Amino acid sequence: MITAIAWKNVWRNRTRSFTVVAAVTIGIFAGVFSMAAINSSILQRIDAAVNEELSHIQVNSKEFRKSSDIQNVISDYPEVEAVLKSTPGVTDVTGRIIVRGMASTATKSTGVEITGVDPEKEKQMFTLSGRLIPGTGSYFEENTKYNTAFIGEKLAKELNIIRYILTDESFGKLEEEGVPAAVLEKLGTLKGERFTSEKKFRKAFGNLLDASENEKYTWKVIEAAWNYREGSRLILSFLDAGNNQTGAAFRISGIFRTNNDMFESTGLFVPVSELRQLTGMGEGTFHRVIARLENDDITNDITKEIRQKLPDYEVMNWKEIQPDLAMIADFMGQIYAVFMIIILAALAFGIVNTMMMSVLERTRELGMLMAVGMNRRRVFIMIMLESVFLSITGGFAGMAVSEVVIAITGKTGINLMKYSEGMEAIGYSAHLFPTIDLKFFISTTILIVLTGIVSSIYPARKALKLNPIEAIRTE
Amino acid sequence: MKVIEIKDLHKIYNSTQIKVHAVNGVTLSFNEGEFATIVGPSGSGKTTLLNLLGGLDNPTSGQILVDGTDLSTLKPSALTDFRMRNIGFVFQSYNLIPVLTAKENVEFIMSLQKITAKDREERTFELLKAVGLADRADTRPSKLSGGQQQRIAVARALASKPKFVLADEPTANLDTKSAYVLLDIMEQLNREEKITFIFSTHDPRVVQKAQRVITLEDGRVVSDELKK
Repeated sequence: MITAIAWKNVWRNRTRSFTVVAAVTIGIFAGVFSMAAINSSILQRIDAAVNEELSHIQVNSKEFRKSSDIQNVISDYPEVEAVLKSTPGVTDVTGRIIVRGMASTATKSTGVEITGVDPEKEKQMFTLSGRLIPGTGSYFEENTKYNTAFIGEKLAKELNIIRYILTDESFGKLEEEGVPAAVLEKLGTLKGERFTSEKKFRKAFGNLLDASENEKYTWKVIEAAWNYREGSRLILSFLDAGNNQTGAAFRISGIFRTNNDMFESTGLFVPVSELRQLTGMGEGTFHRVIARLENDDITNDITKEIRQKLPDYEVMNWKEIQPDLAMIADFMGQIYAVFMIIILAALAFGIVNTMMMSVLERTRELGMLMAVGMNRRRVFIMIMLESVFLSITGGFAGMAVSEVVIAITGKTGINLMKYSEGMEAIGYSAHLFPTIDLKFFISTTILIVLTGIVSSIYPARKALKLNPIEAIRTE
Repeated sequence: MKVIEIKDLHKIYNSTQIKVHAVNGVTLSFNEGEFATIVGPSGSGKTTLLNLLGGLDNPTSGQILVDGTDLSTLKPSALTDFRMRNIGFVFQSYNLIPVLTAKENVEFIMSLQKITAKDREERTFELLKAVGLADRADTRPSKLSGGQQQRIAVARALASKPKFVLADEPTANLDTKSAYVLLDIMEQLNREEKITFIFSTHDPRVVQKAQRVITLEDGRVVSDELKK
């Protein structure tokens, strides 16, 4: 009966209770949802790091990471491969040849890390092949007599391989996307003109459009003018195994786009057979052997195991190679905690305030209850239940709203295109797909209930201090 | 049989400036089934005496024995429990629980006593019938008139079959007709249930119905007369 009374008491002042419930709902939603967004951003970054760039475990010769000299090789690949493959949990193994060199086109040149890969194997182990920009070719599928290279968009831009031209096709595309005719007309003067960098192009059309048009259409215009001529070539020069300068022309087989500018601007992949031939490296020698695991949870344990089995090599997992990422992943737990403390503290103050009002305006009633024989324990429980009901109602509403919004945005994504430059520069996607795990949901719910209980203590104690005679006399 | 025995009861309020001797050496006893009123001018100590009888306040000296139990020997929690089991309260301003229906209000103390739902139901129905509000069982207090609310309050006070019922000016807020209806109901319940009723009042309508009239003045009993 006390439970029923407590529940009814919560709703006797509907406006007040609804206000608190709404505040709690919004607070919980804001907290949970932003957590989900941050969480997704970090998960996407980790996912990209593991699945596109690093894989789980890498084995190098001990000196390779210090000096990426071409001589620092793993000379007995079959043995290393056998050790890795015999380790439970390892699903796939591949070798890479990695040389530092220079990539140049007619107008530009830049330093790159040239990675020789086994295209078949890599396609199974990494998702990078799926990052191919449509219309730029393929992931080494073309049968050609040329050497071929799979390069990042950022690198392609740096080498002026990507250009910006407003063609008839571009105008058609913009029109389709609902860009007004007035804007198209202004852009008309640039038709056919070729820009070698995004910056120059942006400046040129930026001057033609007014501020609000720029704000709205910049991305669409850049996207529409993005131009790549298939079959473009670049020259790679590097030192061979005998430390002689060598080089060759490479035809671009495809261009990939990731969320990580660093990776995109230095990453350049070529088939390992071509690179082996050009460098004159012996069969069965590689610079790096890469292992993929069943799942990421076992990474630390397997790393230890392999490290013991291969004492002559440097064995590292992705967390050790990119400690910043591992730190952020671990840091998430602490961010969760800080976030929740702030939200719950706000929740607690709201509840204490409401319950205080509720207790003070019910002085006479509480006095009567005590007079007719409701003992202190029961009064305390009643007030506590009221607080808990209040916080649970708001908390659950908040969790429900969060879950729905996260489910929806988790599918559609949140597009932060405006900030994409900044976010992608540090490797984070500007397109977020909020996710939250069950553990977070459950722990948050428990915390909400606990907060309700804790915030009931002060008002409940206040109620207990009432003297029935005086309380009944209160008008 | 004596239900309540009061022996040389004193209550002194020590406010900062003046000492108020609200109850000054009262010795009284009440028998089972009595229908008694305590009358007297404002400030004569009626309410204080009633609060002391109800175990809501502690006497400065003297004893109150209810069925042989000395109230002053009980710890606060035991006293609360004692009130719940032995004393019914009717307040001047009804003091029903606003979020509960008439029926639930009557049931409330019984639920504190952990009486089974079936027994509660029966007793509640019986009492609501007795106070003539069986048809309003599911109505909330705010939808009832003052007289009706006070009748529910009487039903609530009697629900747990207390040894006695204390009513502090129960008719003060009621119109004449409602007051008579209420008094008739109380009189009838007093007869049927053999529960002692003690009122404080200065309402002549109540005095007229009472079997025993105790008059207080300055905290002392100045007269104690049995009528009829």
